[in-house]
Amino acid sequence: MNGGLTYTERMRRHFPWITLVSALLLVGMTDINFLSPENLLNLATDIVPLLVMAVGMTLVIYIGSIDLSSQSIANMATVLTTISLPALGVGSGLLVIAAGLLFGAISGVVTARLKVPSFISTLAVGGIALSVGQFASGQQALHMDAEQRKHAFGWIMGTTAGIPHELIVALAIVAVAWFIQNRMTAGRTFKAIGAAEPVVVASGIRVERYKILAFALSGMFAAIAGLMFSVRLSGGSPTLAEGFLLPAIVAVLVGGTPLTGGVGGVTNTLIGTMIVAVVRSSMLYLNIPATGQQIFFGLVLIVAIATTIDRSKLRIVK
Amino acid sequence: MFELQNVEKRYPGVHVLKGVDLKIGDGEIIGLVGENGAGKSTLMKIIYGAVQHDAGNVLVDGVPVHFRTPRDAMQMGVGMVYQEQSLISNLTVMENIFLGFEKPFIRFGAINWKRMSEAARKQLRKVKLDINPATITSRLTFSQRQLVELAKVLALEERVDGKLVILLDEPTSVLSKDEIELLFSLVRELRRRASFIFVSHRLDEIIDLSDRIYVLKDGAVVDVISADEAQIETIQKKMVGREINREYYRENRQIPYNKDDVLLELDHVTVAGRENDVSLKLHAGEVLALVGVEGSGREPILRTIFGMRKPEKGTVSIRGMTVRSFSASQSVSHGVGYIPRERKIEGIASGMNVFENMTLSQMKNYSKGGMLDIAAERELARDWIRRLSIKVASENVDCGNLSGGNQQKVVLAKWRSGGSEIILLDHPTRGLDIGAKEDVYEMVRDMSVDGVGIILVADTLEEAIGLSHTIAVIKDGEIRKWFNCQPGAKPSLYDLIQHMV
Repeated sequence: MNGGLTYTERMRRHFPWITLVSALLLVGMTDINFLSPENLLNLATDIVPLLVMAVGMTLVIYIGSIDLSSQSIANMATVLTTISLPALGVGSGLLVIAAGLLFGAISGVVTARLKVPSFISTLAVGGIALSVGQFASGQQALHMDAEQRKHAFGWIMGTTAGIPHELIVALAIVAVAWFIQNRMTAGRTFKAIGAAEPVVVASGIRVERYKILAFALSGMFAAIAGLMFSVRLSGGSPTLAEGFLLPAIVAVLVGGTPLTGGVGGVTNTLIGTMIVAVVRSSMLYLNIPATGQQIFFGLVLIVAIATTIDRSKLRIVK
Repeated sequence: MFELQNVEKRYPGVHVLKGVDLKIGDGEIIGLVGENGAGKSTLMKIIYGAVQHDAGNVLVDGVPVHFRTPRDAMQMGVGMVYQEQSLISNLTVMENIFLGFEKPFIRFGAINWKRMSEAARKQLRKVKLDINPATITSRLTFSQRQLVELAKVLALEERVDGKLVILLDEPTSVLSKDEIELLFSLVRELRRRASFIFVSHRLDEIIDLSDRIYVLKDGAVVDVISADEAQIETIQKKMVGREINREYYRENRQIPYNKDDVLLELDHVTVAGRENDVSLKLHAGEVLALVGVEGSGREPILRTIFGMRKPEKGTVSIRGMTVRSFSASQSVSHGVGYIPRERKIEGIASGMNVFENMTLSQMKNYSKGGMLDIAAERELARDWIRRLSIKVASENVDCGNLSGGNQQKVVLAKWRSGGSEIILLDHPTRGLDIGAKEDVYEMVRDMSVDGVGIILVADTLEEAIGLSHTIAVIKDGEIRKWFNCQPGAKPSLYDLIQHMV
């Protein structure tokens, strides 16, 4: 029995992967080399930081909120990693993860306890994170010492059987997020909050705590994204991750997690991120300048939101 | 003259109005009475244009009209004075009075406040309210706001040709005795300007004010009584008008409860916003019904017990232990379960399946170190699907797609399977068909046998009488009267209504 599910509703679930396959085929038709394994592998590796950020973002959108601080937290993370690398070595990774958790948790507290809408609380926290990055870096690009980088994070950089470790790490992170979402009480609660928050309250669950947790995790994933990006580029700067935010939100929404939350999840975001990657590289094939990409993503974002949100959950939009 | 002819309204699965005829002469005041669920509010909504009827006619001065919005109705002279006041509290009185009808005061795109103020003063004079029209509405008392609302409707007078029809929905429920007198004398005076439809639970007021009284029951007008001949008891009989069927409520299964086993005690509890105190005791196996009219204060008591409201004074104790911190999660951990009135908003998470809904309140029991034991969850769901004969294909079905009765069973299973000993039932049979209602009654008896204490706010009085061991009649937030409801010696509807209104 699948009750009142209409045809379009059932199709909507399959929409993300159909989009991905069609996009791949479309670009493949203009240039068959695009579909070669090496190219696809490069494509996938290229978007690893975006994927990690989008996975974190997914958890927040899953509960029906939004996190606009991810890019700034990632920026801050690139700076903090680079600065602390000489002193802490691999511990610099733990430092930025902790920083990400902290900044995310602040967004969560402001949203859940002070009842500030998440788009504004995370915008504010993002502003703080950006400034921390600017202050710590002295407004300039910093570089890692090659030897130190190799010693601390060399394991991320290598390849095994032709597969970059970066990609493996990213997939492991997706797997962890998937486990949290599908197999842990926290993930179940996130889903319930997104689906029907009043029910969760009336079931005696402390909703605020779980909201804070979702934001904290999102902050942490953003920091990991920044960490991986800075290791890849061997340096940090308060603007290094510029241009990540919009594609990350697009990846989540195109993947099939609507802004109203409750459905979708990290596997959807995995597909959504790949769609973003394919679309982005297809622009290179079609000779669209990089500066024009954000125009495109902005438009896609509007379409993706408009077609996926559950309007029955929105009484008033301000 | 305003007339309804054979008006019908259906919602999915319910026939709300079954051919209603209603006639209001110019300057007439008619009363409209009926139990909860009799179709009063739907009828009102059709009259003032918030809901469209499916069949039948609405006639104004003999001409058929069709109201698509309340604004359409207002343009034909039909206006509503809302029970939940509809004024916007941060606007001034005059802005509220002319909200949406500012056009006559606009010159070159700007509002001429002076002229609006004068016009508002004129409207306020009609209701004998001497206040500055530029006052911010939130500064007014409740009864002043109600008069402003009446003035707002009376402002239609200058805009429409015919006479006005004004609906008053429970206008007296929060007024003091003097304020009620004032309102009534005003309404009587205004008869030369308008006719009124007066809806109230207080039958004495209805008889006092109206010329004729329409009695609505199960979506049909069962009688029209002239107020001169009307008596409270006869109206009550007509409102209820059916036999209590003992079998229907499983009275044969009602067993005495254990008087020594007190599960819950409220000691002089004052609920926020009301000046009253409530004391009650709930025993294991007891069904305690809270009975009262809409807005009498039953729900706040339930929500206080569930921890969603904090009492201002007094103590709540569960199994002899005083509750110190009030939150739903505290109450749930003390074994309180709440079956909310708004099943689709607070009861069932649509988009989640049966087992996810059932374990939502008790994930601790189905997880280890934060990791869910999904196999055990499924097992639980299958077990309860069988025990309550929930009609679903499997435990993986989205609860949003279940029928109301099956949804209610899932919510009940959620609390029962979690071992809740105190269950709060808020309108548990609302919107259910008869078969599903009987299932709920059966479950109530099962719970009593298992020693669960139940506090019930029932959908109808018969349901409260039929199911309960004890009834507390609540009026204005206070328990006015206790009744013992042993099978064979149950109080009658009329016994209860006396104390309710």
